[in-house]
Amino acid sequence: MTRSPLRVFFFVVFALMFAGAANGQAVRTENVEAQLHASHSGIMAGERVTVVLRLKMREGWHTYWRNAGDSGEATEISWELPPGFQAGPIQWPIPHSVPIGPITSYGFEGEILLPVELQAPANLASGDLVISASAHWLVCSHVCIPEEALLHLPLRGGESRIDPIWAPRIAQTLAALPHALQTPARLTRNADGTARLTVSVPQWQGKKLRTLYFFPYARDQIDHAAAQAFRVKGGEFSLTLQPQPNGLLGTESISGVLSAEVESPKGKRDEAVEITAQLGDALAPAAASAPASGGQALGLGGAMLFAFLGGLILNIMPCVFPVLSIKALSFATTPATEARRHGIFFLAGVMVTFLALAGLLIGLQAAGAAIGWGFQLQQPLVVAGLALVFFTLGLNLLGAFEIGSSLQGIGSGVAARPGGLGAFATGALAVVAASPCTAPFMGGALGFAATQPPVISMGVFAALGLGFAAPFTLLSFAPALRRLLPKPGAWMARFKELLAFPMLATAIYLAWVLMQQSGANAVLALLSAMLAVGFWVWAWGVSRRSVTRFAAGAISLGVLGAAVYGLVPGSAPARSEQAALAAPAHQGAAAWSSAAVDAARQEGKVVLVNFTAAWCVTCKVNEALVFSRSEVAATLQDQKVAYFVGDWTSQDPLIKAELSRHGRQGVPLYVLYRPGVPEPEILPQQLSAEGLIGAIRKT
Amino acid sequence: MIHRRTILIGTGALTLAIACAPAAFAKAANGKPAPAFSALDSAGMERTLAEFKGRNVVLEWTNHDCPFVRKHYGAGAMQTLQKEAIGAGTVWLSIISSGPGQQGFVSGSEADALTTKRNASPTAVLLDSTGRVGKAYGAKTTPHMFIINTQGVLVYQGGIDDRPSANPADLAKATNYVRAALGDIAAGRSVAVAYSAPYGCSVKYAA
Repeated sequence: MTRSPLRVFFFVVFALMFAGAANGQAVRTENVEAQLHASHSGIMAGERVTVVLRLKMREGWHTYWRNAGDSGEATEISWELPPGFQAGPIQWPIPHSVPIGPITSYGFEGEILLPVELQAPANLASGDLVISASAHWLVCSHVCIPEEALLHLPLRGGESRIDPIWAPRIAQTLAALPHALQTPARLTRNADGTARLTVSVPQWQGKKLRTLYFFPYARDQIDHAAAQAFRVKGGEFSLTLQPQPNGLLGTESISGVLSAEVESPKGKRDEAVEITAQLGDALAPAAASAPASGGQALGLGGAMLFAFLGGLILNIMPCVFPVLSIKALSFATTPATEARRHGIFFLAGVMVTFLALAGLLIGLQAAGAAIGWGFQLQQPLVVAGLALVFFTLGLNLLGAFEIGSSLQGIGSGVAARPGGLGAFATGALAVVAASPCTAPFMGGALGFAATQPPVISMGVFAALGLGFAAPFTLLSFAPALRRLLPKPGAWMARFKELLAFPMLATAIYLAWVLMQQSGANAVLALLSAMLAVGFWVWAWGVSRRSVTRFAAGAISLGVLGAAVYGLVPGSAPARSEQAALAAPAHQGAAAWSSAAVDAARQEGKVVLVNFTAAWCVTCKVNEALVFSRSEVAATLQDQKVAYFVGDWTSQDPLIKAELSRHGRQGVPLYVLYRPGVPEPEILPQQLSAEGLIGAIRKT
Repeated sequence: MIHRRTILIGTGALTLAIACAPAAFAKAANGKPAPAFSALDSAGMERTLAEFKGRNVVLEWTNHDCPFVRKHYGAGAMQTLQKEAIGAGTVWLSIISSGPGQQGFVSGSEADALTTKRNASPTAVLLDSTGRVGKAYGAKTTPHMFIINTQGVLVYQGGIDDRPSANPADLAKATNYVRAALGDIAAGRSVAVAYSAPYGCSVKYAA
């Protein structure tokens, strides 16, 4: 087991861990991916936090702003909140004009966050909470489809806890919202029915505006499709608005959002202010008032600050702490210059590993959908690999073998002076070791990185790395701090052994995850791999003879190879269709194939297809609460429904193609074919037994 | 995104410059004679506005696949309004301005099948696949409603009601502007709400 392939393995393993973690449950409709996120993962009594509805539209599709313009309909959210909670209105981001032929709508393309303020009651007790929202939107390209989703967001009640990933992203979104303008705005009616909007916007004075557009809140005032000619004079901006045929424009005040594309040394960006223009004479050009403020540079800064804090927190994670604390304790007897050298190398190890991971992530992402983000954590091989790493670390801490100066420098004891390479490797190992403890958190980091240009995501990762390396590096530079460390002695050997147990506990946890994913056979394979590693370690320790070591290595590799073979999806029946079908939820089901579905339809049967996966929480919930119900089983039998299960736990191009055919990218997908009707019905992902039975009986 | 926005606004302005040229996308004005038109109906017969002179005429822009149109037909609300209007001697013309290949574009026989299937009762369904009639009236959405009085003067244009949503549950709470306007006309009053902002899907004009 040479070091560099091992390191490469660690990189890959960790990169995949980053990718897989989920942030609550996203709902994918035909054209939109919807999900709730919050600035906080924990909320205390009386606290206000921001919840966002994230909508990610399919390429070329849009949803609508509060005033949809000529066509369309604004997105709506109705909340189902725990007792005493209150949700505010949607705080709308800056919209875009969407021209379609002769008409213009106002909406959003790509991905948007719709923030809502959530307030906890003053008497909130501690405990787990679920915030639910039923979101409804109209999504359009050249055609329109009304869609909806029932979304849930778990929150911890009773303690305020910031979500280190979503807090900065949400802060950025809030900072970019149109803020109410404090200076006056006027609307003046012209003889021809048009109206002139004049406004003085201090923050735009002295800046070059490439575009200026007024988005009204009311639907019936301006002609949405008409151009808005604009002029800049001094610090004052004026726009000519065209009326709708009702002639209301210029007879009442007008409210809305004035949006500009502002050119600054930092580049162009959209900025907007919320204005209410009273009827009256046009504003006279005002003397330049306060100089433009710095604006929203806080966004990236805030994100990096939170990433830095997140990195600090990683240090006390149970998987990381043992590695670092032993390294730190060894400083008590290390000369100052040597300690500093270690600090620098450790820092380098952490940063290089973090940035390599970031680069890998960005690269994989750029490589496109071939990877299929989101399912990697569910790769049994990745989970098993990590379990093996933790088991090995546990053995090492228990003293079963010594890595010498190569990996951690802990084996050779406190007097050892491992080289800079050792410190570098400690940094890299610590980053890898941090992964299982921080998977959900890292998933968020990826989510953030995915929406940012590469430079910014690299910046965020760098901040995370700096935070992670900071405590140890500081310690290496501060002799005063090091003197506070406990004196080394025999207790340290005991302490080191004690720290093996969190490592082994992590391995147990990962084995459990693996069992959920791939069943008992996979766990057997994993345990065999652990046996092989243990045997090799033992053989290496007891013999100095290279022949013995070679033989032990060969035996271990053989067992390891067999174990890995057993884990590789598809190469052995670790989890087969049969295993999936054996589940009680799938009684009477046959394995899905398009041929089988066609055959059943030709017999005139009602056909129900359930596309599922072991790692899909929604699928499992539906199977437990709906498919396992006796009424459902009875209905399937009574109505002679041909029931098929497509198991997507492992990659399957045929199932993937079938999902795409129905406009889906993931599971669950429930498809109901009725006899004589060519197009199937897609049942909701949040299935109810009543709904399913009703849909089947309707046929 | 920023670039995209510039392009959007640019395209918007350009589209507008073309579309707002009077001949291409005129706006029918309330209180003025309604623009004359002729178009083929679902039976292939040429129909003109002139042939209905002396009667009140409702123009309904429609597209059977638009969720907003489905809201009004699915619940039977549009059919009820049609029957009321026809019963009172009003002419009801459903106009389809979807271009070939666009959503809502249908042949004459398909249009008739839709009428039968939905139990609708328009006087005629006009197939305006060139968008000539739609653009003469400035029809923006489906549904978009116009009412022309017995003198051939446009007296109402806009949305069908005051609930701009695709949700059928909103029908019960809605004030139907077309019903109200026809009531005003029947009672010899001037139309109280003569204009409302139309809502719905965009009319799928030929590209």
